[in-house]
Amino acid sequence: MLLTITRHPVLTRILGAAATLLGVAIFVFIMLRAIPGDQITAGLGTEAAALTPDQRAALEAYYGLDQPLLVQFFTWLGNIFTGNLGFSSRAQESVLDLTLQSLPVTLELALFSIVLALLIGIPLGMMSASKPDSPRDAVGQVVGLAGLSVPAFLLATALLAILASSFGFNPNGQAFARLFENPALNLQQMLLPAIVLGFGIAAPIMRTTRTAVLEIRSNDFIRTARAKGIPPRRLQVKHVLGNALVPIVTMTGLQFGYLLGGAVVVEQIFSLPGIGRQVLLGIQQKEYALVQSTVLVIALSFVLVNLFTDLLYRIIDPRVRAA
Amino acid sequence: MYGGTRAKRAGFAAIGLAATFALALTGCSPTSDKAAEPAAKGGGSLVVGVTSDPDTLFPWKATQFQAVNVLQNLYGTLTEFDEDLKVVPGLAESWEVSEDGLTVTLNLRKDVTFADGSTFGSEDVKSSLEKIKDPATAAVSASSLASVASVEAPDEATVVLTLTAPDAALLANLAVVNMAMLSSDDTEEALNKTPNGTGPFVLGERVASQSITLDKNDDYWGDTALLDSVEFRVIPDESSIVSAMQSGNVQMAVFDDPLVADTAKSNQLTVTETPQLSYHALQLNATKGALTDVNVRLAMQCAIDRQQVLDTAALGEGEVTGPITSPAYRSDPDARPCPERDLDKAAEYLDKAGMAGGVTVKAIVSQGEYATSTNEAQNLKAQLAEADITLEIEVLESGAYVDRWVAADFEAAIALNGGRPDPDGMYGRYFTSTGNLNKVAGYSSPELDALFAEGRQTSDPDARAEIYEKVSSELEDNAAWIWLFTSYTYTVTAANVDGFVPMVNGSLQYLRTTSLN
Amino acid sequence: MSDLTQAALAPGGGRTMERARALVRSRSGLIGLILIAMLTVLSLFSAFGWLPYDPIAQDPPSRLQPPSSTHFFGTDQFGRDVFSRVAAGVANSALIAVVAVAVAAIIGTLCGVIAGFYRGVSDGVISGVTNVLFAFPPLLLALSLASVFNRNWFTIAMAIAIVYVPIFIRVTRGPVLSLREIEYVKAATSTGQSRSRVMFRHVLPNITSIIIVQVTLSLSWAVLTEAALSFLGLGTPPPAASLGSMIFDARTLVTIAPWTMIAPGVVVVLLVVGLNLLGDGLRDALDPRNRGKK
Repeated sequence: MLLTITRHPVLTRILGAAATLLGVAIFVFIMLRAIPGDQITAGLGTEAAALTPDQRAALEAYYGLDQPLLVQFFTWLGNIFTGNLGFSSRAQESVLDLTLQSLPVTLELALFSIVLALLIGIPLGMMSASKPDSPRDAVGQVVGLAGLSVPAFLLATALLAILASSFGFNPNGQAFARLFENPALNLQQMLLPAIVLGFGIAAPIMRTTRTAVLEIRSNDFIRTARAKGIPPRRLQVKHVLGNALVPIVTMTGLQFGYLLGGAVVVEQIFSLPGIGRQVLLGIQQKEYALVQSTVLVIALSFVLVNLFTDLLYRIIDPRVRAA
Repeated sequence: MYGGTRAKRAGFAAIGLAATFALALTGCSPTSDKAAEPAAKGGGSLVVGVTSDPDTLFPWKATQFQAVNVLQNLYGTLTEFDEDLKVVPGLAESWEVSEDGLTVTLNLRKDVTFADGSTFGSEDVKSSLEKIKDPATAAVSASSLASVASVEAPDEATVVLTLTAPDAALLANLAVVNMAMLSSDDTEEALNKTPNGTGPFVLGERVASQSITLDKNDDYWGDTALLDSVEFRVIPDESSIVSAMQSGNVQMAVFDDPLVADTAKSNQLTVTETPQLSYHALQLNATKGALTDVNVRLAMQCAIDRQQVLDTAALGEGEVTGPITSPAYRSDPDARPCPERDLDKAAEYLDKAGMAGGVTVKAIVSQGEYATSTNEAQNLKAQLAEADITLEIEVLESGAYVDRWVAADFEAAIALNGGRPDPDGMYGRYFTSTGNLNKVAGYSSPELDALFAEGRQTSDPDARAEIYEKVSSELEDNAAWIWLFTSYTYTVTAANVDGFVPMVNGSLQYLRTTSLN
Repeated sequence: MSDLTQAALAPGGGRTMERARALVRSRSGLIGLILIAMLTVLSLFSAFGWLPYDPIAQDPPSRLQPPSSTHFFGTDQFGRDVFSRVAAGVANSALIAVVAVAVAAIIGTLCGVIAGFYRGVSDGVISGVTNVLFAFPPLLLALSLASVFNRNWFTIAMAIAIVYVPIFIRVTRGPVLSLREIEYVKAATSTGQSRSRVMFRHVLPNITSIIIVQVTLSLSWAVLTEAALSFLGLGTPPPAASLGSMIFDARTLVTIAPWTMIAPGVVVVLLVVGLNLLGDGLRDALDPRNRGKK
């Protein structure tokens, strides 16, 4: 029974995901070529004006820009299937190696931020919901609003500048430390950016929690449970939070997916070598293969996070479970 | 573009520096090798904060500021500049120039080795120069060797260049890192991975887009560097570099934005201002629209108070300038039809052009490529408006700006262009009708062609100065462009950094005399 | 969003006055309304030119002056009046946000309704494109779009709009799918009314509350997105003022002229807070289950 229900949708989900990724591939390919400039002008700047036609032709051949667009596209796509994501002439490393270094940084940052956001957002949301329209609700709401309203780059710049100039605390001024090489320093370096991002994400999580808890509490089964005499604390945690988890997980998944490509600004300010910065640098340098492949990796992670959220949703949603 | 993340490029056009002191053509054995240095105390690792890592490690194609700064410390050139931008010996110990100026003989330094241990010799020079000239290499300095007809290597330590015409700027042209001497066995692919030069440092470690570390080269032909290593640490946001300096993680950084430098002025940090050869200008394209009329261009010149542009865009940090910025040939900024802002005269010129009712000029400006670009645009627009000249500003992402600039697809362009010590190297390529940037300059004249040709063949410094003074007034009287100001770079160093000499061309070559206390 | 969906499924929608009263009654809605009204008045002043100074007129002699009675919020490095620029900045930021969200809402809703109502091929195509846009990192999408075109407030608005289109598609498609199955819509279809008539008469009115709430939330995101683009050097080109570009320009001035940063910084926060509160208030007011019970 269960198998016949799940197998089919899962298969369509996977096919759908593949189609989405192909769409992303085509889209990013076209968009990159629509941006003015190419790797030659990005590298030489205005000095490119002094190139003779022969020199220009030599450079186009060097960067593979002399190939027709369709050939460029299918060569790239074909290479992807063999695990070759391209080569960055700037970094002198394969895009795969670069991504294997940068993706974990962003994943760690995203995970760290989400955990912080959940730690702030859920209790705050429950506190707010426990007594709507009370002062404690107001406090929760104000914190939530602040998270939604302060531009991340403003908060990041201010935090960094104040801590560095007043307290000399600036772990991000040191060379980036990988998690498994120097965990202590790595965690310090992740702290400020995770606070900035986590603060921003805590807001939607807090609001989702509050709404969900309020809604569930008005539901009949809670009233029944209360009538049955289940202790309020147990009621709160087991029934209310348990049921509120569904929208919270959905929101968390959404935010996590967003962070994969959306942490660029914070990565930039805190000098974290994450995947967002990799794309940004690639766009600036017009390293087509690098940007195409990296965006595809981000899209893939996004799709996977969504699948995972769905799965989690199936596990925790009491209605689905009961069926 | 991308405010926080701009990849600084050394002067919009051209890093290349050509020297002033046009080889004393009679052949001379240059004087002392290097300035007296402080007693070597050594060791330590210096961390330099930079916004971006090099976009290439291949010296012949490097134009990005960051790449040039790194490569300059890894590679050697036949000649070098000293801190006054005089041409001094590099890998060539001395040179002679024939009476007719058509043969240059270079005597190479002996016992020079590349980083991989192989010996440097005349074959390497011959192969390097020939490859630079080859269009297939796409070397950015190829045109600097235009006058070189052939390169011969009669023996291990001698190279003979045969020229098609006397070239007063040649020896200076050899001093830039785009003319680095590479081993004849090396390829671009190999060098991009593993630089192999004759410079004071060798590549230590590179972590892409995070850091690049140079170790001192114990086999350097000159005095060994005092530092054990220099790490260029990538911190993309300039404000974050300042924070890293305040917390002591970074000991040195160079900024071009006075405001950023200003935030660093405090505690333990020293800020040194160095005037620059590069210049801010409103480039006019005299082949487009209303700008074909010299009177319109002159009206614009008269309507602009350069000091005000400087004050508002760069907080007054810089100097108003004429075309030529190198100290030895500096143009008198007041030698122009309108030395001061003069709206009446501007109106007169507009009247003469038959445009008393006003005129519209479109200008392109890049956002973020350098700090003051859009600020200059805003002030210029405001000033010109008072003279009935409408400056329509198109703000472009730097890629789009470069595309338009390269194609000369603009009426006016707000630009920061790189300067060179030698005025021929600086403007010959722009304002002679055959120059490879003449299309972008948008102006040439038989008078200018004649003056530049004369300058190239004249070796006497005083006579040259006179010629380039004429070039300067030719440019200003016709308002070919409107030169605005030169700015400073700001070298911020921690208290324990010693011995670094900032240069007007922005070079970091004196990292080799820098020490940490 | 699920509660909203249900809210939307309740038929009828003509109780505008009642909803307006509900909005004013909710505290957050009222505060939001007041904030937005104040900022709207400020931007209207700017639109009509009723400002103490021309926001782009330069007065170099009075550069970088601290706040005073002549310049409420001081002056910037060109001697421009920061108060006037903030007012103009609110107008510009609001313009960009409103146009971006309006375009996104119209296109997104249309696509969402078509996909949900007609199903079939159109649904496949629209949902496919939505998935692609969703999987694309949003800020990078806006960034690339902003650098493709000549930059002015309109192209920036369009870049932001494209990022928000899929959100509106997703938010509307679901409810339309359920509406389709509801009895009276089925009835309308079976009585021979044309499909487009059914769509406009019966389907669209029922999802307006969802759209309105989504619009207010998206407005606040759009303001922040414009600010983030400014940080990456792709915001509103000068000399026009926008809150994002003012904050960005002031970043380097903050040590010598903090007022250039504080004024636009505070206003952008007020604007976003106002929009969020208004969104909350609207959500409460438009949710039928919230009415009548407190």
